[in-house]
Amino acid sequence: MNPVYTPLRRLSESIRSGEASPVELAETFLGRLETHGPTLNAVVTLTKERAMEQARRAEEEIRKGKARGPLHGIPWGGKDLLATAGIPTTWGAAPFKNQVFDYDAAVVERLEDAGAVLLAKLAMIELAGGMGYRQPNASFTGPCATPWSPRHWSGGSSSGSGAAVGAGLVPFAIGSETWGSILSPANNCGVSGLRPTYGRVSRHGAMALSWTLDKLGPLCQTADCCGIVLEAIAGHDPRDHSTSKRRYRYALKRDGVRVAVPKGVTDGVAEPVKRNFDEAMREVERFAEVEEIEFPEFPYEAVTRTILNAEAAASFDEFTERGLARGLTAPECRYGPYARTVVLAKDYLKALRLRERVARIAEDAMEQYDAVAAPSRGTTVPEIDKEFRKVTPGTTRDTMGALGNGAGLPAISVPSGFDGEGLPTGIQFMGRAYGENGVLSVAVEYQSRTKWHTVHPDRFIP
Amino acid sequence: MESEEAETLFSLVKDKYGDKIAPEELDAVKEAVERIVETSMELRSVELGNWDEPFTVFKPYRRQEE
Repeated sequence: MNPVYTPLRRLSESIRSGEASPVELAETFLGRLETHGPTLNAVVTLTKERAMEQARRAEEEIRKGKARGPLHGIPWGGKDLLATAGIPTTWGAAPFKNQVFDYDAAVVERLEDAGAVLLAKLAMIELAGGMGYRQPNASFTGPCATPWSPRHWSGGSSSGSGAAVGAGLVPFAIGSETWGSILSPANNCGVSGLRPTYGRVSRHGAMALSWTLDKLGPLCQTADCCGIVLEAIAGHDPRDHSTSKRRYRYALKRDGVRVAVPKGVTDGVAEPVKRNFDEAMREVERFAEVEEIEFPEFPYEAVTRTILNAEAAASFDEFTERGLARGLTAPECRYGPYARTVVLAKDYLKALRLRERVARIAEDAMEQYDAVAAPSRGTTVPEIDKEFRKVTPGTTRDTMGALGNGAGLPAISVPSGFDGEGLPTGIQFMGRAYGENGVLSVAVEYQSRTKWHTVHPDRFIP
Repeated sequence: MESEEAETLFSLVKDKYGDKIAPEELDAVKEAVERIVETSMELRSVELGNWDEPFTVFKPYRRQEE
């Protein structure tokens, strides 16, 4: 069995059966990260020593019959905003490129407990995009390319997490999303990316951009893999007060699936994205009851944007006051933090007060459905050397992103096809709070009927 | 869209951080302040009652006792 591009369930079976060895898997994927990582600007640091130690331990435990579960012995990569003891954690930003913590992030701990093998810290947009980047060259490791084209962007801010999974350099990765940072790279790299409900996964040890918006989640080959990883990383953590005490168990709903499509969701969307979305929905209609819904007019984007601006200004206050932004890569990020220092306290609080309305609107509209479907992005994959606004004139409003992140709702992006240039497009399924199994049920069934997640870029197929 | 509020807040930014912002960046910072004020205006246009509190509720803390 060739482990590259093999979904986690199959990879796990091959480890348990002795067909694959954790040490050999670690060596194989480390080799791929070394060879292909630099061509994509996807990797910040290889954690080779730690990886081989974890892989040898996993191999020994499995040999002795001490199985830790489906991720035991499986390699992974983490967005470089997750603290790792003794290994640099750069937050993608030159001013922090020598930063080293003496502890592991909760997610790193949980994956270690699950027996997974950390191979690399993966590239990201500097400070998770918190300084207002407007083009892909916004990381001290350079602009990250999608595995589908060296001239096109991986998406961000979890850039390396998307690119490394898409290129088959790691079986799965962890990314983070404040607003779009998991769904965007999943879309651009042609992989599956799950943004969990806010508070589902502990953020202890992860860089904070916006305390009430930040979420951590997996990027994988398939939606099924995302469910497996989420079960391993979810759970209450007293070190992160946002975490829920609800226990998460990955389980699929087989019958009676209901999907909603917001009215006008493809208005203004790029033609190839719309075409693939319409085609995907025809497939969804074969197994789910599909209905149109309408989210009422409300300043969703103003609510989420104000919360993000105010919290980012506070979380990077010392950074801003010390003038450290001048050391960032993107010119627009060097002055990005200053304007938001004047968001008024009353406006931030108004946004937090309106957030309850947003949450209730979402629940009222979505209560009857397992998922709400929409294109993951309104545009095709941007070129790597262009400003976003120059290549995406007339970009539509991101109501799904604003509402979903503002209300802390889960969503998954899965591949829906390709545009005329051979670049991937994605479809997202967003669910009610704690409704990950609903969106996973839709996405897994969709992938069981389509082939897009099984198509990989030629130059990375071994 | 320029407004008196945006002008005032931009002056505040310039006074406080002017030494950290290059002259050629000032127009972009001013535009960003204007967008923040426009966004705030959208929020302010929605009416709320006095009792509508922030969705993030403070919880008093007490260490769990054995």
